[in-house]
Amino acid sequence: MAEVILENICKTYGNNFRAIDQLNLSVEDGEFLILVGPSGCGKSTALRMIAGLEDITSGSLRIGGTDVVDMPPKDRDIAMVFQSYALYPHMTVFENIAFSMRLAGKPKAERKKRVDEIAKTLQLTSLLDSKPANLSGGQRQRVAMGRAMVREPAAFLMDEPLSNLDAKLRVQMRAEITSLQKQLGVTTIYVTHDQTEAMTMGDRVAVLKGGVLQQVDTPKRLYESPVNAFVAGFIGSPSMSLFEATLTGDELMAGAFTIRLQDAAFVRRPGLRSYAGRKVVFGIRPEHLYDSSLESGRKYQTIPAKVTSIEELGSEHIVHLNIDAVRVDSGDPDAVQDFGLASNAVAKFEPVSTVRSGSEIRLALDDAKLHFFDPETHLAI
Amino acid sequence: MTRQKRSHHKLKRAVAPYLYLTPSLLIIGLLMLLPMVTVIAYSFQNSAVLRRDPSFAGLKHYQAIFDDPVFWASLWHTLYFTCMSVIFHMTIGMVFALMLNNDRINPTLRNILRVLYILPWLFTAVIIAVIWRLLLEPNGVVNSILMQIGIIGSKVEWFSSPETALHAVTFANIWAGYPLFMVSLLAGLQGIPKDFYEAADIDGAKAYQKLIFITIPQLMPIIISISLLDFIWTMQVFPLIWITTGGGPIYSTEVLSTYTYKLAFSSYNLSQASASAVVILLISLGLTLFYIRYQKAR
Repeated sequence: MAEVILENICKTYGNNFRAIDQLNLSVEDGEFLILVGPSGCGKSTALRMIAGLEDITSGSLRIGGTDVVDMPPKDRDIAMVFQSYALYPHMTVFENIAFSMRLAGKPKAERKKRVDEIAKTLQLTSLLDSKPANLSGGQRQRVAMGRAMVREPAAFLMDEPLSNLDAKLRVQMRAEITSLQKQLGVTTIYVTHDQTEAMTMGDRVAVLKGGVLQQVDTPKRLYESPVNAFVAGFIGSPSMSLFEATLTGDELMAGAFTIRLQDAAFVRRPGLRSYAGRKVVFGIRPEHLYDSSLESGRKYQTIPAKVTSIEELGSEHIVHLNIDAVRVDSGDPDAVQDFGLASNAVAKFEPVSTVRSGSEIRLALDDAKLHFFDPETHLAI
Repeated sequence: MTRQKRSHHKLKRAVAPYLYLTPSLLIIGLLMLLPMVTVIAYSFQNSAVLRRDPSFAGLKHYQAIFDDPVFWASLWHTLYFTCMSVIFHMTIGMVFALMLNNDRINPTLRNILRVLYILPWLFTAVIIAVIWRLLLEPNGVVNSILMQIGIIGSKVEWFSSPETALHAVTFANIWAGYPLFMVSLLAGLQGIPKDFYEAADIDGAKAYQKLIFITIPQLMPIIISISLLDFIWTMQVFPLIWITTGGGPIYSTEVLSTYTYKLAFSSYNLSQASASAVVILLISLGLTLFYIRYQKAR
């Protein structure tokens, strides 16, 4: 077990493309850190640099106090779980798990003992003689985990290990990996583009965009206090809706409506006063928008909105809305823009809501839960 | 009426595939099956082809070739020529494919090597035979180089000496045939996921361990398929040997194909030649069945 420390890590490719820019990250001993970001943000590159599969252009990388920048992967005392699992199809589950021990020339009896132990932990004992082709996705995933565990490394590196599984299995494996990590207590760096995984699995989450680290924090703090509009939009599903508005006194004027802000909003964000008379970006999460005709929404102020479509999920309704205000792009290249439906906001309503697609409604919003960002820098106010 | 229509439709559906197959089946029957059956029939006749009403000879011609020491010599030469060719085709093809697939070699150099390595494939058997006859002439380039380096003391008559002739034709055939392996293995190498090697790097595998534990097992299906095909083809090689040595000197490079050819067109013993051809057919058939079973098993 060990801490992993990245200092001013940069990665520049031959064509001068900078994949990682000045990455500083400190992962504590036994911590589960999630690296998250949209496609092409450099998260996999960062992980591969820690593994030693990519060269580090500049900066320092220490694993367990040792500078490993010039070390080959095998000497870094890490184990990696690949997105494709990289299981050798011609080897049985036993041979796959025991491969690193076989390379290290460990005696057969020792190999068998260790693999049996791991197989027991991962419930793979009955599958040890099977070939990967005869396993289900979840079983393959567990074999990949076993292959990483067998080495008893200082750190686990996982590159989107759940992305090849179906949705239901993913939920199950999420819980399995989390509890396994807690049980083993090994420092783990986990790359994903799925922010549900990011929010549910890690002790801390590092959000990357365009090779630049945006914020590292606990999932809760990341959700409640995003440092900029990108993090605000990226973390949370469905995404936070962001709009442009003008702050006049204690009112936000956006398009055809105004939102009154309570004093508390200014107390919590002293900087907001300085935006008086200027444009700001405000954001609201789907769960802080309510159907005004329901009890839950009665106590909040309302704004006009048009329902463009509804996804009824049983436990809740995801309601796509059009609000008369200018939408602001959070800068997430993976964000789905539904141009066809012309919606610019998303709300989560209780399933008892009776709103229909196409109807004009009064949308209740909890103004205490608004987020504010600078319109130029997109930094949180 | 509807029932009649339905049964008519059923019949049409059942017959249609066979109608589509008929032209190709006819061509195969005429061009392949018929000659094959005819040759088998000839091998049981006296004075086949030469006489209008040949008599039945039983196994006489088979007896004759099995009693002929030249037949057994050519069978042995065929086996040597084929086994050595296949082994070296595979080894050289593998080494070159690994070189061409190596990221650490400059891409421009790799492209040049790719063209150079594939060159032997562009030549027909006749050209290859002529090239090697010229190169391996007593006064040729090979002798002069080997003498200069000091490997040989005097000129060697590669194709004309019974001690070296079989090795020389085998060598020429190895040179001509490795590109098939190289190209197939290169395609196979490019299909091996990079993750396998990266996972092995992390696990601490050395280059030779990656070759033994990942590359070769991953290429095994290609190695087996191409080896079997190469075995079948090499067993039947005729022009290269015919043009370089003609089976000589003193039968030292006689292989089943040249042996059969000579029986047919030098001795005009077409019945015995047919018997010899049937023997080749049976050996090839055995290998082909093995190949088909292997392909099915996959």
